[in-house]
Amino acid sequence: MKKINIEEINRNIYNIKNKDEYDFKIKKGLTKEIVEEISKQKDDPEWMKELRLKALETYNKLELPTWGPDISELDMDEIATYVRPKTKLNNTWEDVPEDIKNTFDKLGIPEAEKRSLAGVGAQYDSEVVYHSMKEELMKQGVIYTDMESAVKKYPELVKQHFMKCVPINDHKFVALHAAVWSGGSFVYVPKGVKVDIPLQSYFRLNSPESGQFEHTLIIVDEGASLHFIEGCSAPKYNKVNLHAGCVELYVKENAYLRYSTIENWSKNMLNLNTKKAIVEKNAQVDWVTGSFGSKISMLYPMSILNGEGAKTEYTGISFAGEGQNLDNGFKVIHNNKNTSSVVNAKSISKNGGKCTYRSLVRINENAKNSKSIVSCDSLMLDDISMSDTIPVNDIRTDDVEFSHEAKIGKISDKAIFYLMSRGLSEEDAKAMIVRGFAYPISKELPVEYAVEMNNLINLELEGAIG
Amino acid sequence: MEILKLNETPVRTARNFNINNIKLENINIPEKIEKFSNINIINNNSKVEIDSIIDNSNIVYGLNEFFSNQVEKDSNQKIRLNINSKINKETRIEYKFDKENNTLIDNIQIIANENTKSTIIIKYFTEEDLEIFHNGIINVIAKNGAELDIVIINLTTIKSNNFIAIQNTLKENSKINYCIIDLGGKNSITNYYSKLEGKLAINNVNTIYLGKENQLFDLNYIAELNGEKTNINIEVQGALKDNAKKHFKGTIDFKKGCKKAKGNENEACVLLSDTAKSLALPMLLCSEEDVEGNHSTSAGKISEKELFYIMSRGFSLKEAMKLMVKAKFNKILENIKNEEIKEQILIEIDNRLD
Repeated sequence: MKKINIEEINRNIYNIKNKDEYDFKIKKGLTKEIVEEISKQKDDPEWMKELRLKALETYNKLELPTWGPDISELDMDEIATYVRPKTKLNNTWEDVPEDIKNTFDKLGIPEAEKRSLAGVGAQYDSEVVYHSMKEELMKQGVIYTDMESAVKKYPELVKQHFMKCVPINDHKFVALHAAVWSGGSFVYVPKGVKVDIPLQSYFRLNSPESGQFEHTLIIVDEGASLHFIEGCSAPKYNKVNLHAGCVELYVKENAYLRYSTIENWSKNMLNLNTKKAIVEKNAQVDWVTGSFGSKISMLYPMSILNGEGAKTEYTGISFAGEGQNLDNGFKVIHNNKNTSSVVNAKSISKNGGKCTYRSLVRINENAKNSKSIVSCDSLMLDDISMSDTIPVNDIRTDDVEFSHEAKIGKISDKAIFYLMSRGLSEEDAKAMIVRGFAYPISKELPVEYAVEMNNLINLELEGAIG
Repeated sequence: MEILKLNETPVRTARNFNINNIKLENINIPEKIEKFSNINIINNNSKVEIDSIIDNSNIVYGLNEFFSNQVEKDSNQKIRLNINSKINKETRIEYKFDKENNTLIDNIQIIANENTKSTIIIKYFTEEDLEIFHNGIINVIAKNGAELDIVIINLTTIKSNNFIAIQNTLKENSKINYCIIDLGGKNSITNYYSKLEGKLAINNVNTIYLGKENQLFDLNYIAELNGEKTNINIEVQGALKDNAKKHFKGTIDFKKGCKKAKGNENEACVLLSDTAKSLALPMLLCSEEDVEGNHSTSAGKISEKELFYIMSRGFSLKEAMKLMVKAKFNKILENIKNEEIKEQILIEIDNRLD
């Protein structure tokens, strides 16, 4: 049997390194003085400064996780937690400095903005350098701005929601995030407003030996709807970079939010991100996630279904190549009756990469008549890779329908034979099977991302029969 | 009383999921182990050595250090079965608990020699309403071509503490079929570990658990597939009444080199009350490409449509529920060839479902 070679992601575009130029870069490490300096640089209100310092205390008290990939190589003394680029926030691309603008041009952000987005935020290192939204959305009362502006312009709204969905003691890297957060996006969609075209924030980390800690806070008010896309990338350096962002989503009664992520960090990145959504009565949050980059990723978006009839769907794919350990998954807590969750997770491992699907489904005592269906498939493309499935299913009441299924294995010889008997070549048969494997995910992505993903899964033949 | 931590999973999950290991408080662990003499061995097949020295140095998991050491040092029943017969005959070991024999620390070693066949039934039971303590190790080695059917039946009371660690080593072309009936124990904690070393080794495990009142079941099943074309099938069917709780931790670990190995794991839990709890962690670990691994778990009550159908045939709700649970258990019980034993189990299931 021939071995197929599924190419890893072409990183030429993402690997463009700009000179490490900045307006201000905080010294490496994590101390009270550093946190105070970040707070001063960002001109925080007093409550935010206090929150940062409390979070630092919490960080120092909490232990590293006793499970998951080994992240002992992370040395906070070698990470600069705040790097301010040499530009202010702009609302036209012309005002963005040439080298930074060129990077985003090559990533296709301004072009996508023109064609298919209702608003764009672009973060470079620790600060948002560009933010813009279509005027008609502004008129409808939609707020889409960088997080720092939101803290100042909408203090009550931010204070009421900031680090409330994800408490600072959730885990060590949430506490770290809260202490040194910078950048990110704030979105508020007023009651009944349907945002038909997606908003997108793109996060780019250019500076070596640094971290990105953006905070995304989205409130979709009653009966409103939104599709938000998050993209991220970085050039590769020899030493580790750290990403410990935080995403807090509030989906109010009858509201709908789709949160799509294309994560394509470089292979020296430790991606220790946290994402949670609180979903109220008859509301729905859908997560669509493509995880391609990072050296180590530990990312488990979570839906907390607090309202009666709340729903969530998770559709995710991870693609781990050489040197990558992608430990991803999903968590859902059913906290009210008639709630439902559907999980469809896929992973592909090759060239010694390791994919782990790790999840939690908890159906609490009061979540009568709730349903949860979980399916995860793992594809192994060679015999040096690894793939694990580690799901926890915690069912605390009888009036539920819960099922979990997982499969692991290589491309089936029978399926190849069947397709070949229909006239396809072996290579085409294999290509079709791998694309088909990823299709349930790619069909959920915006078109341009789906095309990009299919390009990434580019098939080639290698070796001879036998 | 100190808190006992035991039955740890091979891979850790977040601590707040409360499933990595079980923490038990206020377990009456007997300080002095008295003699246990209520044992009945019906042997048609094996060379049985009682009180022989048993080598447990190959034990990989066990429940924890304390429980393994207790078996090592304080066993009041040591049995070694050396199987040489090529015709499948039955050996039965029955431990009967009573007031004088209420603590059993047993260590059973089963060595199935090449190309032998045998059936071994191990039964733990009592006819009195007693709190008993049982801690045991069953260490099985199936040599090339050996075939074993092993039935383990726990019919102790729901006041009891039942701890058991089972380890199987399977050599080339060997096959072990297990049927585990787990009904007794306020705490019933099982560690099951199979190492499928030899090519074409097969291990089938079929388990029933049935919990009522405050019973707690913690089942930690681990299968490690090393040999080519090895095969593990785990089927667990359970039902929980009242405040009963179950942790099922099932790991199928495909090690590098186990080409064309297959692993299937299915766990289904019927919840018969809204305060019963089911916690499951079915893991697939895979370091080999050319394998097939599947797992599935499910939990929920008996479907109303099914109940309605049976009740429309003249059964009461309670009878209909019992019938449905027994129907789910039946596919496991079919693996027990001894009709007398099967009948005893069915009566016990019936009583415990009342």
